[in-house]
Amino acid sequence: MDIEKPSNKTAGKPIQCRAAIATAPGEPLVIDEVIVDPPNSHEVRVRIICTSLCHSDVTFWKMKDFPAVFPRILGHEAIGVVESVGENVDGVVEGDVVIPHFLADCTECVGCRSKKGNLCSAFPFKISPWMPRDQTSRFKDLRGETIHHFVSVSSFSEYTVLDIAHVVKVDPTVPPNRACLLSCGVSTGVGAAWRTANVEVGSTVVIFGLGSIGLAVAEGARLCGATRIIGVDVISEKFEIGKRFGVTEFVNSKNCGDKSIIIDMTDGGADYCFECVGLASLVQEAYACCRKGWGKTIVLGVDQPGSQLSLSSFEVLHSGKILMGSLFGGLKAKSDIPILLKRYMDKELELDKFVTHEMKFEEINSAFDLLIKGKCLRCVIWMGE
Amino acid sequence: MNNKSASPKAGKVIRCKAAICRIPGKPLVIEEIEVEPPKAWEIRIKILCTSLCHSDVTFWKSSTDLPKLPLPVIFGHEAVGVVESVGEYVEEVKERDLVLPIFHRDCGECRDCKSSKSNTCSKFGRGYRPNMPRDGTSRFRELKGDVIHHFLNISSFTEYSVVDITHVVKITPHIPLGIACLLSCGVSTGVGAAWKVAGVEVGSTVAIFGLGAVGLAVAEGARLNRASKIIGVDINPEKFEIGKKFGITDFINPATCGDKTVSQVIKEMTDGGADYCFECIGLTSVMNDAFNSSREGWGKTVILGVEMHGSPISLNSIEILKGRSVCGTYFGGLKPRSDIATLAQKYLDKELNLGEFITHEVSFHDINKAFDLLLEGKSLRCIIWMDKLI
Repeated sequence: MDIEKPSNKTAGKPIQCRAAIATAPGEPLVIDEVIVDPPNSHEVRVRIICTSLCHSDVTFWKMKDFPAVFPRILGHEAIGVVESVGENVDGVVEGDVVIPHFLADCTECVGCRSKKGNLCSAFPFKISPWMPRDQTSRFKDLRGETIHHFVSVSSFSEYTVLDIAHVVKVDPTVPPNRACLLSCGVSTGVGAAWRTANVEVGSTVVIFGLGSIGLAVAEGARLCGATRIIGVDVISEKFEIGKRFGVTEFVNSKNCGDKSIIIDMTDGGADYCFECVGLASLVQEAYACCRKGWGKTIVLGVDQPGSQLSLSSFEVLHSGKILMGSLFGGLKAKSDIPILLKRYMDKELELDKFVTHEMKFEEINSAFDLLIKGKCLRCVIWMGE
Repeated sequence: MNNKSASPKAGKVIRCKAAICRIPGKPLVIEEIEVEPPKAWEIRIKILCTSLCHSDVTFWKSSTDLPKLPLPVIFGHEAVGVVESVGEYVEEVKERDLVLPIFHRDCGECRDCKSSKSNTCSKFGRGYRPNMPRDGTSRFRELKGDVIHHFLNISSFTEYSVVDITHVVKITPHIPLGIACLLSCGVSTGVGAAWKVAGVEVGSTVAIFGLGAVGLAVAEGARLNRASKIIGVDINPEKFEIGKKFGITDFINPATCGDKTVSQVIKEMTDGGADYCFECIGLTSVMNDAFNSSREGWGKTVILGVEMHGSPISLNSIEILKGRSVCGTYFGGLKPRSDIATLAQKYLDKELNLGEFITHEVSFHDINKAFDLLLEGKSLRCIIWMDKLI
């Protein structure tokens, strides 16, 4: 891959480039020229090589009310090259290949230093329209109007500015159209099986929702040595697709609707159930399908803000089951993304099968169409020249 | 106790006294009953002392929300006794062994008992069936022959009881009887919840909602595991002084928090939320508070309270996504056959302080005083002595 040596001509100055801007809820993105300010202290400016579309981008693109805001540069799954760095940036220099991550990893705060979780307390997760440290934007349109950020990444732009807490340096020889997947979706799914659930060899796993996240959970469970990976979805075609990701059996919940089928199939319930859709009602189904005594239900799907999960308290007491959730698969981005990348390079973790489409930046709206219609897994968008 | 190798009554019906509940909520009546000999895989125990647990009171009071218990019934499930005789195939214990009857089954053989990941024995299925677990019949009879029912597979408010071997654990005779009795339910539940279910580690922060015997046992377990902060939440301000004896470091009375919610106060005290939150009452509103008081990233909420109205816990999905977990447990996640001996040893090694749980002692004929004391909130554990006159 050709990495153009960034010239010093742009360092310290605003860059004019193209970005795909979300201007109104549900309206096709508009590709237009924007001005990208140079990085402030603790920030880096990055030229995006590839980016991919994740369902969370679609969610906040369609949404009408806060935390959706417009105009906004969406996109949070990507890989790029550092064009210039601001003051107080250590460990990353111009020319480095980096992966942005929406979940901060400052490595220094109580949350980041703890082995028990992956939530940074210095930069708590929120759907913010700003840069995390000073709550301002680095993007303007040509009239000087502010354009908002998205989860501290905003990768649907030829250039973006990232806080150093949201960036990890990676091996420059990795194929960018595969590595970008580790920036969100695949890491979330694989991590959920590996780190959050800690699936062990011989386990039985049930996955509700076979989109990219669910399939990534299957891939993670396969790597962890699960012997049965049961996929649950309402579209039967997902089974054929799922087989390539390690799914061993399939249940079409539209046809059977009765959770006792899964309990029978698994002789009392699964060791691990993953909810990968984002429906409170489905979380209850998943909870019912995991095994009494030690079954773990892991929530990954993001429902509407304010939605509540409802469980019978007697059932919680009586069943001994555990309900848990995680963001970004419980991974600490700066340490775990390189680990997953190495496993891909060592041909253990398979990423190629997640990429169903590749396209140019100009075609970005067709990626949205494909994802909304359920006709793709990951569309990789090349920013390219 | 005599020195003969076999109990003189082995294989025969024993006539003895028992405290019987005929009408929910009314004082127990002590009457002569007959106790049949143990069948296969059963033992007959001479109860030495027993204590009153809130779960006995809940079912004694009865209510339309609870499953209907067949009456008349002999309550009690926290006790210590001596094996009087054993049925066929019993190998784990023999006559004159000191044993605890345990309401929480441990067969040692099923998939769950063999797994280190759970303590929910599945040998006789998952539901609760009154009377003896294997055949559903009772070993208690009135003198005129009518059946008297068992409770929680134990029934300890009687001079003699019959219990299935999967509900029995041997205990060292070195431990005082009153303490041994406590290990058969409430105290083990609380200590186990902190130790095994939550895995409270050195330096962690803990919040305990409800400072009855179980909540205080959680505190003791958290103290044993060297938690740095053990916050007790109770509407009775006297519980703070009592709680200090069990390791409580900070106290919150929800009635005096002013504008703030309990979870806001706990988050302030712990810089973001407690590492472990325990609900020890049985109210879903408190379970929700406990969850909201747990720290994002890794906060664990453990439910110990028995909620019997069928109302649901309500958890905000984003707060779950932020690395929190919720679970419930019976008997503190302990496996009776292995873990009770561990707790007994910790008591003997003076690591676990259990003496303060015993606040009152009565003799068997005054058993109803124990109910009064608990209902009035005046006692933690009242030991009921079968033979002694107090």
